[in-house]
Amino acid sequence: MKQRVYYGALALLVLLGCLPFLDSSYALRIGTFACMYAIMSVSWTVIGGFTGYPSFATAAFFGLGAYCGGVLINKGWPLFAAAGAAGVVAFAGALALGLVLLRLRGHYFAIASLAVAEVLRELTNTATELTGGGMGLNIPVSVTGSSSVMGEASFFFWAMWALLLLTFIVVRLIQESKLGFGLVCIKQNESAADMIGVNATIYKSLAFAFSGVFVAMAGALYAAWVHYIEPPDVFDVLFAVKPIVMALLGGLGSPAGALLGAFAFLGIEEAVWRNYLQIHSGVLGLLVVVLLLFLPDGMMSISKRLSQLGGRRG
Amino acid sequence: MLGLRFRSHSVRLLSMFACAVASTLTVMTVQAQEVIRFGAPLPLTGPLAPEALKQQQGYDLWAEQVNQAGGMKVGSKKMKVEIVYADYQSNTPRAVQTAEKLITQDKVNFLFSPFGSGAAKAASTVSEKYGVPTIASTASSAEVYDQGYKFLFGTFTPNDTLTTPLVKIVKQKAPEVKRVAILARNDLFPLAIAQEMDKAAKQYGLDVVFFEKYAINTMDHSSALSQIKAKAPQWIFVTGYINDLVLIKKQMEDQKMQAPVVTMIAGPAYKEFVTATGKTSENISSAAWWHPAERYQGQDIFGSTENYTKLFREKYKAEPDYAQASASVSGALFQMAIEKAGSLDRKKVRDELAGMSVQTFYGPVKFGPNGQINSLEPPVFQIQNGQPVVVYPAAIKQGDFRLGVK
Amino acid sequence: MLILQILLNAIVLGSLYACIAAGFSLVWGVLNVINLMHGSFIVLGSYLAWGAYKALGVAPWTSLLIAAPVFFILGYGIQRGVLNRVIAAPVLVTLTLTFGLDLILNNAMLVAFKADYRQLVLDPSLGSLSVGSLVVPVDRIVAMIFSLLLTLALFFVLRRSRVGRAIVAVRMDRDAARLMGVDVPSIYATAFGLGTAMAGCAGVLLAMIFPISPIASGSYLGKAFVVCVLGGLGSVPGAVVGGLFLAIVESFGSLVLGPENAVTLSFGLLIVFLIVRPQGLLGKRGFE
Repeated sequence: MKQRVYYGALALLVLLGCLPFLDSSYALRIGTFACMYAIMSVSWTVIGGFTGYPSFATAAFFGLGAYCGGVLINKGWPLFAAAGAAGVVAFAGALALGLVLLRLRGHYFAIASLAVAEVLRELTNTATELTGGGMGLNIPVSVTGSSSVMGEASFFFWAMWALLLLTFIVVRLIQESKLGFGLVCIKQNESAADMIGVNATIYKSLAFAFSGVFVAMAGALYAAWVHYIEPPDVFDVLFAVKPIVMALLGGLGSPAGALLGAFAFLGIEEAVWRNYLQIHSGVLGLLVVVLLLFLPDGMMSISKRLSQLGGRRG
Repeated sequence: MLGLRFRSHSVRLLSMFACAVASTLTVMTVQAQEVIRFGAPLPLTGPLAPEALKQQQGYDLWAEQVNQAGGMKVGSKKMKVEIVYADYQSNTPRAVQTAEKLITQDKVNFLFSPFGSGAAKAASTVSEKYGVPTIASTASSAEVYDQGYKFLFGTFTPNDTLTTPLVKIVKQKAPEVKRVAILARNDLFPLAIAQEMDKAAKQYGLDVVFFEKYAINTMDHSSALSQIKAKAPQWIFVTGYINDLVLIKKQMEDQKMQAPVVTMIAGPAYKEFVTATGKTSENISSAAWWHPAERYQGQDIFGSTENYTKLFREKYKAEPDYAQASASVSGALFQMAIEKAGSLDRKKVRDELAGMSVQTFYGPVKFGPNGQINSLEPPVFQIQNGQPVVVYPAAIKQGDFRLGVK
Repeated sequence: MLILQILLNAIVLGSLYACIAAGFSLVWGVLNVINLMHGSFIVLGSYLAWGAYKALGVAPWTSLLIAAPVFFILGYGIQRGVLNRVIAAPVLVTLTLTFGLDLILNNAMLVAFKADYRQLVLDPSLGSLSVGSLVVPVDRIVAMIFSLLLTLALFFVLRRSRVGRAIVAVRMDRDAARLMGVDVPSIYATAFGLGTAMAGCAGVLLAMIFPISPIASGSYLGKAFVVCVLGGLGSVPGAVVGGLFLAIVESFGSLVLGPENAVTLSFGLLIVFLIVRPQGLLGKRGFE
């Protein structure tokens, strides 16, 4: 059954890839954001879902990737090389940081990972020579080679979409692999995992690195897409919190759930934001609370409950 | 059984998802073209929320005036005005998305820019793309207008037009002032102003003895202020938003800091600043793009600065400041351009704006080739007896520049 | 002289930090819940002081008497009604729940009070004390004294009263406490109520010093985090030590590295402490 949900989500993703044929530039913008957030929530699953470490480092990876990408593109690098480099930097950085930070657990790890974004944001703010500091960074270079408006919008949508596809498949492969098995062992009982020969330190750090690499690449794409970034925007704490809410919404520990959770959350958020000018954040908060109180296992549990109900009746 | 269960399971998930997407993409019903719709993306939540209130007041006052007069004349008919607000949560990417939503989903005819230079610049890409004439009522940085865009106009002159007159008047009135300390919020607009100040001060032979930035989330300034105090500057120049400046002024008083000249941008123009700092704001100088003490006779719906101030007081029981006035004048400029074009055609209205040269309650308005206003001379003012008093330019000054801030 | 002045600034500021963090630390330590509403509770307390002074002329230190019970009941209710339902759930769930609750509370304040900054201006102003060329503002001294008194009161409640002993017992070993006949849910609610009351009182005191707006809640929360980690989780004396330490590092960091780096320094310090000394300056080692 899990397998089928996976293929269902994959099919949905492919379907989403047809969005540019709708010829609506606003739909494309929303679609690009949806892919971006889905990359974050699916990536987060590796560290938060499989391994059970409540990481708030997503914002740090995203901002790091955005600035790496932006700076390199301004130095004349082609987009995909810049995005790749951002990924490599984030992967290496996360691996090194993970070796230290992942010794912490629970809230301690959560806070430390949250603080990483704060530190990076302030460093970016003060490294004026490289990043433009508080004035923000302009990325005027057009990287798409397409001058038409729709052309550029479609280009970035497809780039983000392809990255999401890659992320989804890689995360799924991790889940199926020896690494994924080791991570689940760590989640259940870390010291026991050590005993059966899982090198917990390395495994956890790898999980942390994989939760960062695609997010950083998305950051680089994002920087090229919007042409202007500033530290408070790309190191926004909401980039750390929203992917978690999305993953919780979908059902913890499942990449397909995280994907659907991201889309559903953004759909809800957009609807609430459109309809309530002054109180949309409160309404969103209410939804989060209700969801956590009544659906602690995410959307996946709705259908489970319903089918249980149906099963009993039948 | 298993297959069946799976099917219902995935169907439910997919239909939930479809509902979410459908609600996202529902195109709003296009209203019958009886009203002219103006889109206004505002930072109603998040750190910039206080600024959004001011923008909204300015736009609302204008719209109310137009509708009370029966609407504006477009060709042969009179049309009412509606302002469509949307919250972009003080987040720049969201501002761009909001601008696009207003244009494509809410079908607004014209657009006001989001707050500040950064967001206005980012959103201008969208309005340019759709060819929607857009007026930025709070963007001063020249980089916003240097993108070669045809549909973007702005009602703030560049940042150096605020700092240069200040330096000039201090040079003239207090030639003994030599040592300047600058403390700037590390954020686009406040930092840009501080850098202009640094430039202007050096150009006029002043000695900048301290130039530091503080982080956006700084909660306490006592250490930085003690450092400034130790340098004994004669001119203390601080930039930031109103909360920063209220706190810094209070802490300066706490530390008994005194200097012949203390300048703060952009707080003192706001009434809230004087209320919050009380008597200690006496003799603080500042500069802004507009001031209610100005006396312009305009061809716009508000007629004169006096009348604008009166209408504003009646509606909000408060004094208007430059942020609200700039929002109102942006509406009034659209109105004049639309009435002159005689149609809602975006291209025609854009051409009217580009060629515009009019008098307004806000001052003479004429846009340069890049779209930024170049006809305005921003006043320098000072808090005297709890009131902002214009001290420069000479034509509208209400009092003389005074020295000594406790 | 500059060094002395900066040290003096830091000591006063540090006591305020302690007051901001004490309640947060208590809730984290006892319930194992990171309460993201803490910053908004502080702001709400500031509004209470502002309203009381503006409408009735009640001085902030008098408002403490109203704020403490009001906020205690508010916190008690929220814990009993909402948080308690998921208290056994993983870290992430409780954290996200308080995130959602904070969105609601903060949005409600934004609608009720508008976003613009208010300031409680005492009239006549309390002025500043000077000794030689050293200056200390009196309102800060007042706030410092009251915040230290409050923290001390909390300390004694936990040490001496029956409820306090029960809270400490639950913190040390929940299951053992339950076996000893302690009503754990009610203790949780009491601890959360105490934490909320501390936040409200901190807000009342800070109203004299900082501009008030719903959007200020984030920076209070940030300080609470750092102080709590520096001082050690769930320890009231730890909050005082952590607050002082943070203020001193920030102030001298600002002197040596420039004010723009003060915030970076405080979060950098937080990470270093988490890694090297997670038990904090005073606390016992006890993570997770």
